[in-house]
This record gives sequence, C-alpha cells and structure tokens, in this order.
Amino acid sequence: MSEITLSRAPRRRGKAATAAGLQRSTTATIVLYLCVLVFAIWILLPVWYLVVSSLITPTQLGVKPFPMVPSSITFDNYLSVLTGATGSKGFGSTDVGARLLPAIGQSFFVSSVLVVLNLVIAGFAAYGLSRYPFRGSRLFELSIIVSRVVPAIAIIGPFFVAFRVVGILNTPWALIISYNVFTLPLAIMILKNYFDQLPREIEEAAKIDGASRLQTLWIIIVPIARPGLVAAGVLIFLEAWSEFFYSLVLTNQLTVPPLLAGFQSVQQFNWNALAAATVMSMIPPVVLVIIFQRHVVGALTAGAVK
Amino acid sequence: MSTPMNSNGSLSRDDRRFGFRLTAPAASLLAVLLLVPTTLTILYSLHDVPANGRSLGPFVGLENYTIVLGSSVFWRSAKVTVLFSIGFVLFSTLIGLAMALLLNQRFIGRGLARALLIIPWATPWLMIGILWKWFADGSVGGLNAVLLMLGATSDYHDFLSDPNSALAITIVAAVWRQASFAGILLLAGLQTLPDDLNEAASLDGANLWQRFRNITLPWLRPALVTVTVLNIIYAFLQFDVIFAMTQGGPGDATQVLSILIYRQLFGVTQIGLGSALAVILGFVALAGGLITVKLLYRAERQPA
Repeated sequence: MSEITLSRAPRRRGKAATAAGLQRSTTATIVLYLCVLVFAIWILLPVWYLVVSSLITPTQLGVKPFPMVPSSITFDNYLSVLTGATGSKGFGSTDVGARLLPAIGQSFFVSSVLVVLNLVIAGFAAYGLSRYPFRGSRLFELSIIVSRVVPAIAIIGPFFVAFRVVGILNTPWALIISYNVFTLPLAIMILKNYFDQLPREIEEAAKIDGASRLQTLWIIIVPIARPGLVAAGVLIFLEAWSEFFYSLVLTNQLTVPPLLAGFQSVQQFNWNALAAATVMSMIPPVVLVIIFQRHVVGALTAGAVK
Repeated sequence: MSTPMNSNGSLSRDDRRFGFRLTAPAASLLAVLLLVPTTLTILYSLHDVPANGRSLGPFVGLENYTIVLGSSVFWRSAKVTVLFSIGFVLFSTLIGLAMALLLNQRFIGRGLARALLIIPWATPWLMIGILWKWFADGSVGGLNAVLLMLGATSDYHDFLSDPNSALAITIVAAVWRQASFAGILLLAGLQTLPDDLNEAASLDGANLWQRFRNITLPWLRPALVTVTVLNIIYAFLQFDVIFAMTQGGPGDATQVLSILIYRQLFGVTQIGLGSALAVILGFVALAGGLITVKLLYRAERQPA
C-alpha cells in the first residue's frame, strides 16, 4: 500500500493517478474525497454512536439531541458490566451483567474447539477432494454448496430433541456439535479452493522420494498451506462467535449473542451498559479479522466466487 | 480451478479410495447432522405433532401445508419477506458496488478505508441488530440526533414503533452489514482487472461511463452474480437482525418468514405447522441455492 506515502504534489507534475493510471482533474479529486468522506460516515456513524453510548452516563444519554461529542466520558459502564454491578437483577438474585464474562469465555471455548476440530476434519476432506477425487466427490462438493441454504430453523427441532435425550442441552457441546452444520461446509470449501491453487510438483517429488501419501500431506502440504489454514480458522471462529439462533434455542444464553439479546429484554438494563457489553463482544472478531485481513479476504473471495 | 489437473481417470483405484477415506469423516458427520434432522423436519411437517414433541402424532398428509398456504398470516409474512429481500438485495449490491469502485481509486488513506470496510462484515449479525435498534431509538437514538442537526426533522421519531418505517430501518441495518460483504468481494474482483484495458479504452476516446459500462461491469459480472445470489439467500434466511430490533413487530410489520416460524415453533408450539413453514422456506432458499450453483457454473465456463 505504497500510495499512502504519495503526497499532494504540485498540480501539473503530480496529479494523483487513478487506478487506470490516468490523470485526474482537481474537480475529480474533490469529488473523490467527498465520496470517501460519505463512505467513512456511513461506516463510522453507527459505530461511533455505540462507542460514545458506552462511555457516557445515563444522564448524558437522556440529553436531546444525543451528544455525538460528549463533554466528559466515563468507564463506569464497562466496570459495572465487568464486575456484575449493573443494578439489574435476573430471575434469581444475581446481577445479570455478571453473566457477560462467563459468556465471553464460553464463546471463546466453543469457537476455539470448533476451529481445531474443523481444520482437521475439513483439512483431510478438502485435500482428498482436491488431489484424490473419487466417484461421488463432485456430488459431495455440490451438496456442500447447497447445504449452505438449509435454514437453521428447519433443523433445530430434531437437534433440540436429541440433545435433551442425551442430556447436553445448555452445554457448550450442544453448540460444538450443531455449529458443524455451517462451519464444516465453509471450511471444506475454503480449504479445497486453497489446495487447488497449490502447485503439485513438490508433492510429486516427495512421492518419487518414497514418502507415503499421509507423510506428504503432513510434511509438505500443511506447512505451505498455512495461510489457507489460518484464513479458514479465522472464518470458522468468526462464524461460531457470531452464531445466535442455535445458541438461543439450545442453551440458556450460554454464549455472547443470546446473552446480549437477553439483556435487551431486562427492563433495568440500560443502553449504556448494553453498549459497553456490545463493544466488548465485538472486539474479538473485528480485531481478529483486521489482523488477518489479507488472508481472510483472499479466502472469502475464492470460497464465495468458486 | 475446480477441476484438478489429474482427472478422475488418471488416478489409480487405490488413490481414489484414499481420497474417499480422507473425505469420509466430514461426509458422515454432515450426513448425520444435516440429512437426519432435515428428514425429521419433513416428517414432522406431515404429522399433527403434539406440543411436547415426544412423538410424531397422527399422520395428516399435506394438511399442514394446506393450512399454511390458506392462512392470511403466512401471505402477509411472505409479503414482508419479499419486501425485505428486495430492499436488502438491491441496496446491499448497489452500495457494495459503489464502495468497491471508490476503494479501488487511489487516494490518501486508502489502506485505512479498506480496513473500515471490514468492520460491519466482521460484526456479528445480532450485534448489528442491537446497535441499529438503539441507533434508531426514539428517545436516545443517534439517528434522530443527526436528522435533527441536519434539519431534516423537527422532532424525535420512534422509527421502530412505527409500522410504516420499522421495516425500512431493519433493511438499512442489514444492508449496513451486507453492503460491506458485497464491497469486499467486488473490490477483490476489481483488483484483478488489468490496468491496460482501461488505458487502451481511454486512448481510444472512451469516457468514464463508457469504460465502466463496457469494461468494468462485464469484468465484474461473475462476481456480481455471486454476490447477488448470496445476498438473496441471506435475505430469505435473515433472522438475527430483525429478532434483535423488532422481534417481528410492531404488530406483524417486520414478521419475515423465519420470525413467523420461530413464533410457531417456540411461541405457540405448533410443531407440525412450524415444520411445514420451515420446509417451504427451505425450498425457497434451496431454489436460490440451485440458481447459485447453476449461475456459478455458467460464469465459470465463460472466459472472463
């Protein structure tokens, strides 16, 4: 991204070049930056509102119009959510805010276990589909694509009944099992695409050197496929962290999304505290995706377009 | 490259068996987790299932479907779903395209702007619903503050309690997220467009609009098809944002089919009816999925 270093040079010599390498007039430049401004406002205004709400007191929040630039800020909302002192009692006597940290922990647990499990299972499957296609492998790939349109609500009932029989309702295992329905197809698609793009010559050389097929997979493929594995891992984590519906039905607000939805229906739970809780719950996925931006966007594009 | 270099024929029988064994764990897991529940739901939809769900109950054939298709609640909900989907697909795709075109230009701070594009996409759907519910709130909302400051309104308006604006606000919230997703995919498509195509056209005297119309748009066609069809699927299956913002209300102004099914299954526990609804929604989405596959393969076969 070297264009960031481009400075606004004198007009004749240094009009910024467009993507096509064409010269741009002053008017065009002004229009361009106005568009960038509109874009930034479109993305940032709701986020700014959320962050400001989490940093002001209920009294400041009551002021009309909403103080987009607050005169003073406070971290009390974060503290009250973290310490479970939001002043809003649940059905029992404990403060419902105290459930946020455990829920974040459960979300991390569910998402991480899924990442590991899916990378292994989907990794094998994707490699098999990419390098050793068999009778029916094409059909399997097609059904994986089609499976992404099965509504969660159409299959949740049987899950509920089965998990009640086994006795794992309201445990992370109910989610770790059911989330496979959407994370596993996603992981297989991304990884198969990635393996397809890797050159085959090294594998053929390894074969000639007498390495077995599994040795080749482990010693040769896994190291060079690391970017693809990272991207798939991040996307699985993101999907699992974001999932709301299964967790709403199969658990009692075990993970973050159903808990936040539950906070909304607790009368005394004010928007300031909810905003703080929402900011904290947004940070892990957003930071993760921004760190691995390049890998993730590449995998997402390949996975969606193919 | 979905067809591997070694075609099926050149692999030994042992190699093919190896591929099958590698895929078997994933395939069996998905068969158990997807096929079995789907089959059960279809069975439920053909029975008058008791509210406790312990047994199938008496077989009633297509009666559940007749009830669903004959009810005005279903058709009102279908209408809301279609309205939501049209707005969602149209604006997500168009705004996404506009953002992709913008972020493909050179300007100072482009790297930062591209990181911004990712934020809505990385935010979980439910949190987008919560965020926009309060942003559009009638007493503490930021949207009202902005409109007031711009002089667009004279007083605070409770958008989500107003049946006339509730659906529009849920669409805006969902578009806020999905336009970013479309933007990311379309930007990736634009980045593969060779510069010299535009340069040559420009030397031939093509203006900006002509270059967009005859070079950029055809180049993006496969990506646009994908994005549009994915958006259609997302639209039909949308649940989280509407659940967080309105739970289908006020009245049934935002009650899309997924919310209606949720209410049937978990509110009034009509498992048979809810399952029939779910099967109908599944078929609508499946039709979208098959179109996806079909269009994708057509796009793949065409040299870009």
